[in-house]
Amino acid sequence: MKFAFFPGCTMAYRLPFAEKSIRMVAPHFDIELVDLAFTCCPEPNTVRALSDDTWITFAARNIALAEAEGLDILTACAGCHESLSLAKHELDKKPERKNKVNELLKGLGLEYRGTSKIVHMHQQLFDEIGIETISSKVVKPVPIKVVTHTGCHLLRPERILHVDSAEVPVKLDMLCEAIGMVPLDYMDKTMCCGAGVRKTNSVTSYAVLREKMTSIAMVEPDAIVVFCPTCFITFESGQRVANRIFGTDFKFPVFYYTELLAIAMNLPGMDILLAEHRVKIELPASAETKEERKTGAKDSIPSSP
Amino acid sequence: MGEDFQRNQLKELKETALPCFQCGVCSSSCPVFRVSPELNPRLSVDSIISRGKVPSEGNEWLCAYCLMCDQRCPMGVSLAEILMVIKNISAREGKAPPDVIESAESLMADGCQSPISSRSEKQREDMGLPKLPRANPADVQMLFRATGAAEVVELNRKAVEEASE
Ligand code: SF4
Ligand code: SF4
Repeated sequence: MKFAFFPGCTMAYRLPFAEKSIRMVAPHFDIELVDLAFTCCPEPNTVRALSDDTWITFAARNIALAEAEGLDILTACAGCHESLSLAKHELDKKPERKNKVNELLKGLGLEYRGTSKIVHMHQQLFDEIGIETISSKVVKPVPIKVVTHTGCHLLRPERILHVDSAEVPVKLDMLCEAIGMVPLDYMDKTMCCGAGVRKTNSVTSYAVLREKMTSIAMVEPDAIVVFCPTCFITFESGQRVANRIFGTDFKFPVFYYTELLAIAMNLPGMDILLAEHRVKIELPASAETKEERKTGAKDSIPSSP
Repeated sequence: MGEDFQRNQLKELKETALPCFQCGVCSSSCPVFRVSPELNPRLSVDSIISRGKVPSEGNEWLCAYCLMCDQRCPMGVSLAEILMVIKNISAREGKAPPDVIESAESLMADGCQSPISSRSEKQREDMGLPKLPRANPADVQMLFRATGAAEVVELNRKAVEEASE
């Protein structure tokens, strides 16, 4: 399936190794990625907070670019996914807003019609490709204990996004299980990472992160798995800042899901990517074959309710 | 535009907030309220319903837009969206936080919110990532101006300068 790929500013320019992992796994699942001249999604907490009309117009321009190519958009960031999906919802529901936006886009030779879908990599992997196909590609299971953080902007607003249950998300845990990891439940699983207030009040933002990390630390995972570059940066770099401010001692390795998928598929070049991580992890060598893993799976304790 | 725009927005807000019966589920679900009680989402709706005013403290900028309140409200009131409108009003009054303005300026300059440095371009190249096509800067600026953001950014810049004088 061919998509207009929307890595988003944060992934493209601050977390390129995560983008690389998506581009590495994509062909193995028949995903073809096309790059278009997108702008920032734009981000709700800055652009939309300043001017709702500006937000919806830029989002419409992005979607219109994909529509002109007859492609659906594949997002990689929860923030971009939420922003584009909400804009689309609003434009499809309110013809007067759509017409207003199209007046402006006409000058750029573009038109928002509402023909392209917005799909996040999480949805493509879980809903379209499916757990079985993913497990079938695993040659080197990753036997670590993890907690997952799906991210506010993949879960909410649930009535519009439909990525997973907003109160009890389990799909990312299942994706982790599919590649040999053991997902753990924790108290504040659906809580925000705090990124949304970093620009307006950083101490508050890190206090939210501290709460989240405290809940994570209680179940002692080996790593945190996310599906959003902003959440990634908040956890990985933010934990050090939180440590400085609050005297805590968090040092969890953080992964974007497709990095671990690429490792499990034993795709070449992953070591270079992992070198970019600020908190490193010694991944245990997985000696077991896939057959052993399948039989072993019977005894595993279900991790989600 | 200015005042009429505000009055209309406030009227609309009051209508959206009307079903609220002050149960407080939003506040008890809010991750920011948990650490910074200055942001009490329930009280911001209350002030809109009972006084038809946006709360004057400027605490709306503490909202992380995590949408937890939106998810849990038994009456279907979306405080996250209400606070977003309040932020729009507050920005028009020149009260947007400086970092928010900076991000918007970066978007206006190169279409991207994290400024694109030559270092990050080089890093992409080293990893074998494609050079991403970029939007025409003239188009970006045109949309910025035509949709009001350029004006809001300028207004807030002025407010900062005046405050520092
Ligand atoms: S949860 Fe809904 S009804 Fe309850 S106080 Fe908040 S906005 Fe009002
Ligand atoms: S969206 Fe804002 S007010 Fe609502 S729960 Fe999140 S931080 Fe609190």
